[in-house]
Amino acid sequence: MKINSMRFLSAIALALMVASPYTMANQKLDKMSKEDSNWVMPGGTYDFNVFGEQTEINVNNVDQLRPAWSFSTGVLSGHEGTPLVIDGMMYIHGPYPNNTFALDLDNPSEIVWQHKPKQDPAARAVACCDVVNRGLAYWPGDGDTPPLVIKTQLDGHLVALNAKTGKEYWKVEVMDISVGQTLTQAPYVAKDLAIVGSSGAELGVRGLVSAFNVKTGAMEWRWYATGPDEDIGLADNFNSENPHYGQEGLGQKTWEKDAWKIGGGTNWGWYAYDPDLEMFYYGSGNPAPWNETMRPGDNKWTMTIWGRDVNTGLAKFGYQKTPHDEWDYAGVNVMVLTEQEIDGEMRKVLTHPDRNGIVYTLDRETGDLLRADKLDETANWVKYVDMETGLPVRDPEYSTRMGHRSRDVCPSAMGFHNQGVMSYDPEQQNFFIGINHLCMDWEPFMLPYRAGQFFVGANVWSYPGPKGNREEGIGSGQVKSYNAKTGEFEWSVMEKFSVWGGTMATAGNLVFYGTLDGFIKARDSRNGELLWKYKLPSGSVGYPLTYTHNGTQYVGINYGVGGWPAVGLVFDLEDPSAGLGAVGAFKELQNHTQMGGGFIAFSLRGQGPFDDLSVGEYKPNN
Amino acid sequence: MVNKMKIIAACGVMGLSIASFSAAVTAYDGTNCDAPGDCWQPKPGFPEKIEGTKYDPKHSKEELGKQQKAIQAMERRNAKRAEHFKKTGEWVYDISKLE
Repeated sequence: MKINSMRFLSAIALALMVASPYTMANQKLDKMSKEDSNWVMPGGTYDFNVFGEQTEINVNNVDQLRPAWSFSTGVLSGHEGTPLVIDGMMYIHGPYPNNTFALDLDNPSEIVWQHKPKQDPAARAVACCDVVNRGLAYWPGDGDTPPLVIKTQLDGHLVALNAKTGKEYWKVEVMDISVGQTLTQAPYVAKDLAIVGSSGAELGVRGLVSAFNVKTGAMEWRWYATGPDEDIGLADNFNSENPHYGQEGLGQKTWEKDAWKIGGGTNWGWYAYDPDLEMFYYGSGNPAPWNETMRPGDNKWTMTIWGRDVNTGLAKFGYQKTPHDEWDYAGVNVMVLTEQEIDGEMRKVLTHPDRNGIVYTLDRETGDLLRADKLDETANWVKYVDMETGLPVRDPEYSTRMGHRSRDVCPSAMGFHNQGVMSYDPEQQNFFIGINHLCMDWEPFMLPYRAGQFFVGANVWSYPGPKGNREEGIGSGQVKSYNAKTGEFEWSVMEKFSVWGGTMATAGNLVFYGTLDGFIKARDSRNGELLWKYKLPSGSVGYPLTYTHNGTQYVGINYGVGGWPAVGLVFDLEDPSAGLGAVGAFKELQNHTQMGGGFIAFSLRGQGPFDDLSVGEYKPNN
Repeated sequence: MVNKMKIIAACGVMGLSIASFSAAVTAYDGTNCDAPGDCWQPKPGFPEKIEGTKYDPKHSKEELGKQQKAIQAMERRNAKRAEHFKKTGEWVYDISKLE
């Protein structure tokens, strides 16, 4: 394997030079993340458990939850993700135009600062699936550099804001909309690096992951999903513990000629980080175009679970879940880090509910594949995953190819799980997974590549899976409790629509989630029983968070229907194959909710900052 | 440390798969590998290579190169911004003001 020596050496030098301050900043953020008063990163903590330790709100009193306060972002479209809460301040993000608001939790009726970027509106035209954004990152500062809130903009910029003032501290270009590249992801802070991915595989964008120094705005490393090994950033021991996954040269060898240059593999999902191993984890997405006939080969390293060293970005392992994807099962979904006893041995593992309908558990030190279970037995493109080879054994009946309309393929392109997060209760040792119960018809077509134009090459018709009501377009969602040790689903409930945003669990034996039709719900996480729900002003594609402020536990959630499942509603589309196949699947959604955008915080009996009637009132000088 | 047993097992499986590849005329199920990590095979009736066939998209080389050009241009601009920031402590986004 050849590594670009200059880039490699500079990456190593960087790691050595700044090892000490990295560790300090990292420890500070790690410590803050474990305080009940904070929610400092998308998953709550580095292990991305989306779990609150609080028990003030629990199964016995959750029916007393009432709104405490709310905030309108003033923007429509899909409000994915969840805000950050740091030292008594809440930072709220939103879809394009990607405004950011800082609210003082003592008085959220006054906006402390707001950042409203001016973007080229042409960015909207190259956004795949509505103009969503998934969240913010936070870096806690040191003596020299102030605390920073770090955000992405749809137009491809990564921006660091002074967390105290909202003023831009630095602003770099990561993606270029003129060639179809965008950013929708929540950036991620590990050590003193802001890590960010890429969007635009539906326009043939070649995926990459980059790290920028939070203090200087300088790029420290950048690695691609496809192409030469020196571009992909493979460590010397890449996949040495699992050579059957493949090792050298495959980023080109598994493509025909230069197809890897427009081969997708973007990563716009979530990151998780293990501070002890100093490795971070994420998934690269679908190959481009969707039409598989146009790209012979396994298309490495799209659809891959990556374990990379955070200092250099070099990959220690890569496991490709769906070689030669035929269905747009983009592999960007969340990675949740836990320690589990598997086959009698405690292991540091990552668990990943993939779009392809399989939930994977890997050893996160070695990349060993430990479990691969179907998220629902209706997944039919794959018979099973061969645990020796790691290969999915496909059912050719559900393959796709030119000149053929494949029918009743499950999952649909939207996956049995998509961008939603997944929570984990460490006491119960169960995962709570929001599911899209969707299947599809798929028919490819040929098209040329033109930079900056859509490069999909397939017509798709999605619809509820066999357990739903296909005729009425409902029954497209599930929530499940999964035990990775046994592979068993301990409970499962159906939902009217896909559970798109994901779940948040608490030590109060509760699991919360939002629904596309506009409910936030709480279930008993031990058995799935529905205990509480509240109708939001608009459907939710975000996920709940919890925090404690001034002794009161709050549960909050973004509302604002949109994103891929609601493109028909957002853009008033009727053709069932429009919106990359989503319109038909969610044709009924418009009869349940309409657009909106904001955040609501709930607490027991609605107690909160405005219990003191003087908060937010005009105070005359005389 | 490399798990030797695992490698032996994997090689065994790959060997079987490669052996079966020569006789593989059935539909693609993704298990017949030429090498570790290289397990694609054409579906019945479809070519091994699409160049020159009716499935050749005939991509323009110029179009294929546009993304990398855009990335390199952004990297150059970002480097100038970061360099200026390092020298002055002021972040200037507008490159024209740095030249």
